[in-house]
Amino acid sequence: MTEPLKFSAQPKLRKPTMVIGWESDTARLGERVTDYLINSLGAQPFCEIDPVEFFPLGGVTIENDIVQFPQSTFYASREHNLVIFRSAIPRYEWHEFLNLIVDVAEEYCHVKEMYAIGGMITAAAHTAPREAWATFSSPKIKKALSPFQLSREMNFETPPGSRPTLNSYLLWVAKNRDVSASNLWIPVPFYLMTSEDPAAHKKALEFLDKRMGLGLDYSAIDATIKQQNERLKRLRISSEEIDGCIRKLENNQRLSEEEREGLVKGIDEYLRKRNN
Amino acid sequence: MGIVLRQEPELRKPDMIVGWPGIGNVGIITVETMRQALGAEELGEIEPWDFFYPNKVTIQAGIVTDMNFPGSKFYYKRMPKKDLLFFIGEEQPATRESAYAEGKRAYEMANLVLDVAQKFSCGRVFTSGAAIAITHHSAQPKVWAVANQKALLSELRSYDNTILMSEVEGKGNQGSITGLNGLLIGAAKRRGMEGICLMGEIPDYLSRMPFPYPKASKAVLGTLAKIMGVTIVHNPLEEMTVQMETVVENVYQQFPPEIRERLEQRKLVTQTKQEAITEEDEQWFKEHIDEFFNKDKGA
Repeated sequence: MTEPLKFSAQPKLRKPTMVIGWESDTARLGERVTDYLINSLGAQPFCEIDPVEFFPLGGVTIENDIVQFPQSTFYASREHNLVIFRSAIPRYEWHEFLNLIVDVAEEYCHVKEMYAIGGMITAAAHTAPREAWATFSSPKIKKALSPFQLSREMNFETPPGSRPTLNSYLLWVAKNRDVSASNLWIPVPFYLMTSEDPAAHKKALEFLDKRMGLGLDYSAIDATIKQQNERLKRLRISSEEIDGCIRKLENNQRLSEEEREGLVKGIDEYLRKRNN
Repeated sequence: MGIVLRQEPELRKPDMIVGWPGIGNVGIITVETMRQALGAEELGEIEPWDFFYPNKVTIQAGIVTDMNFPGSKFYYKRMPKKDLLFFIGEEQPATRESAYAEGKRAYEMANLVLDVAQKFSCGRVFTSGAAIAITHHSAQPKVWAVANQKALLSELRSYDNTILMSEVEGKGNQGSITGLNGLLIGAAKRRGMEGICLMGEIPDYLSRMPFPYPKASKAVLGTLAKIMGVTIVHNPLEEMTVQMETVVENVYQQFPPEIRERLEQRKLVTQTKQEAITEEDEQWFKEHIDEFFNKDKGA
């Protein structure tokens, strides 16, 4: 077996923070947040996890005419003392994969804290104010994050038939290795789950910005939020059905199964189309 | 990756009985029923991390407090004649999209089970599963048997209600056992250990249904108990079988009349060659399984 961690550089960092995001997760939240950080902070790749043990490599997937290949890359920004891990979701050997992330965090980077970003599906409308929830590896990090506007008292057990998220699994691995870690959960309206939710992206970025003093420029994401809100507004004007469903959600009313399906389908199709 | 043994009792040349989930959960129900009936004590487990994705996280007041994984546990029971070891795996360590174990991890799991068997000087391992048969659910299931050594075949022939796989109509000398119930006795063969797989018959038209088929487990348990010389006094499978017969009958009544009519023939013709369900019928079952259970839920 080849060495799974491939280092291309050894960035000098001083007890940095690590942010983790997964590709194609709920509303592409982790993916977009890590992309935003990498691009706006000019973070540079320094290490990769070799995919062979963790992904099916019997072929490639194609997305929008582009060949996709599983990548699991660590980036570093020396200036902001930040490490970013962005990866496709592994398909096998999860325990080993998650331990490799913590290996890099603990043994190579000596991180102070790790934050994994994830979406939490909600029945609330996209027009409702966004919250941020957090779960923690220890009471110590929970206490350290008390000054931030986070809902910190989640009680949860995976319901029968479901499985824990990869972020929860990572939090447990970090806890067992005594690495301080937190999962950030941003509620995403269920009808934006398969598309994108830039308002949720911004909420996650705002927390990271405040926690690490990154001085992020939000103009690009604000423009995306504005554009999406306008598109959804146009869709509501053109479709009474969709407007009625969203209005019900805004009034805390439940939708029937049929209404839910119609809303998800209608919005997904609309947002996928260009120029509307 | 490893084995954690919480005690190391001295056992007299035990046999090991192994169960994993599979079709109708025939194997795991058989082994779990026997283990419980005999009051076997927990011995240890195989660490789950390298084999399974967790099945439950517990978060209390924001802090992750626990992560549960499917269990893979060993048990033992001292018996007057021959001591027993049990291994019960709550899931098969599937590495691809299959429900059954295959590949490197499955082989590793099989070898860890056999490491424990050999540590306690176990000479024989039994696995148990389902045999998809051209039969009717009203019929008493037989137990199909295979061994990993030719010398064991005459013994298998002497078991009650048991037939060798080669004796099953239409099977000829070919067959296969999917997943760890087969792989384990294959791996045992490599180590020179005796291995036997006992499979309870499940009708082909029920093999895709997402419910247990305790009638087959009961048949395997009966055979296994006789082999081990044990009596299972309070057998919960009796009650479970009665309950599931009602469920099976309800599902059966929802089959289209023409399919049911063909299947009814199996009750009448017991001596001549039975006919398997047609490809068309099988397709119909695949497409309608969910509907049976949605109706049940509504009721």
